[in-house]
Amino acid sequence: MRDYWLSKMFFDLQQPAAAAEFRADRAKFMGKYSLGEDVKAAIERNDAPFLAGRTNAYLLRYYFFTLGMKDAEFIRKLNGG
Amino acid sequence: MASFAGAYAASHGPLLVREWESVPAEQKSRLASAFRSLGERITESRADVLIVVSPDHWSNFFLDNYPAVCIGVGATHEGPPEPWMKSYPHRELAGSPEFALHLVEEAMRAGFEPSMSHRLKLDHGACIPLWRMELPNMPALVPMLVNSIEPPMPSLARCYAWGRLLRQAIDSFPGSERIGVLATGGLSHSIGEKTMGAIHEDFDRETIRRFSASASSLLEYLEAELPRRGNGSEEVRNWLVAHGAAAGRGFELVDYLPVPAVIVGCGFASWLTSGSG
Repeated sequence: MRDYWLSKMFFDLQQPAAAAEFRADRAKFMGKYSLGEDVKAAIERNDAPFLAGRTNAYLLRYYFFTLGMKDAEFIRKLNGG
Repeated sequence: MASFAGAYAASHGPLLVREWESVPAEQKSRLASAFRSLGERITESRADVLIVVSPDHWSNFFLDNYPAVCIGVGATHEGPPEPWMKSYPHRELAGSPEFALHLVEEAMRAGFEPSMSHRLKLDHGACIPLWRMELPNMPALVPMLVNSIEPPMPSLARCYAWGRLLRQAIDSFPGSERIGVLATGGLSHSIGEKTMGAIHEDFDRETIRRFSASASSLLEYLEAELPRRGNGSEEVRNWLVAHGAAAGRGFELVDYLPVPAVIVGCGFASWLTSGSG
């Protein structure tokens, strides 16, 4: 299953300007996308397994890289840690 | 007529740039040597044009429209958009619109229907190997983006057939150019999945072995094994395109090494071109 708007947000966040905007005001940035409340909450708690079920694996990795998360921590989160 | 300048394959991966300094010295030396060896082979082949077969890592396409195969027919391609690739020396790369359009026309005539683009970004998938190969003169590039990122993907048999088609297009191009094929990606790796970081050395070595066996043996093995060998392993499709362009013959392994620091089973190969013009 693909959540189009979640995927779109991750896709757009590959742009440095968008990433800066996201880091400055996450809620405002997310407001530009039709995200479900459960998805917004998952983003807030960095819930990688929840998000993994709704987007492409590469986009998910790019997103967490944009957040500045190291791969080791990302892998730990993917596995529910 | 144009002539075939050989087929080549090399792994790619963001960590080959971002984590290069953390790669153990012996592995770093082998990786650098393998990339350089491919660069020397391409230089010796006197390739005027390289068809670069690579995935699009969400650089050009999104879910709105994700082609199975896209051919870049532009006179110019953009360099890698990834911020961490800003040191890549080429912001623009020359294309070969005449050959690229000939390739698309040949494809249409043969019952293949690729997408085409007059302006593509060449992301790290294409540019890391081109960078690390240290080519003294960059050939004109014809990007062939094959979806190995977002399911469903083109079948393995179709990718091999695409390689045969590339060769047909090269052989029928009314020019004097020498045209090679560079496949990038693979071998085993896993990105953004629970198994991220896993390298399946047994799979990689058996895949390499079967590139020297029959194409049917190779395809049969990959059909059975790919679904459980990590999503990044799907990029072996690009190697199949190169293999098809070489008519399934002449595979030569340059080097293979699993590199945990870059989370990729790194493979390098070329297809001997003797007697191929």
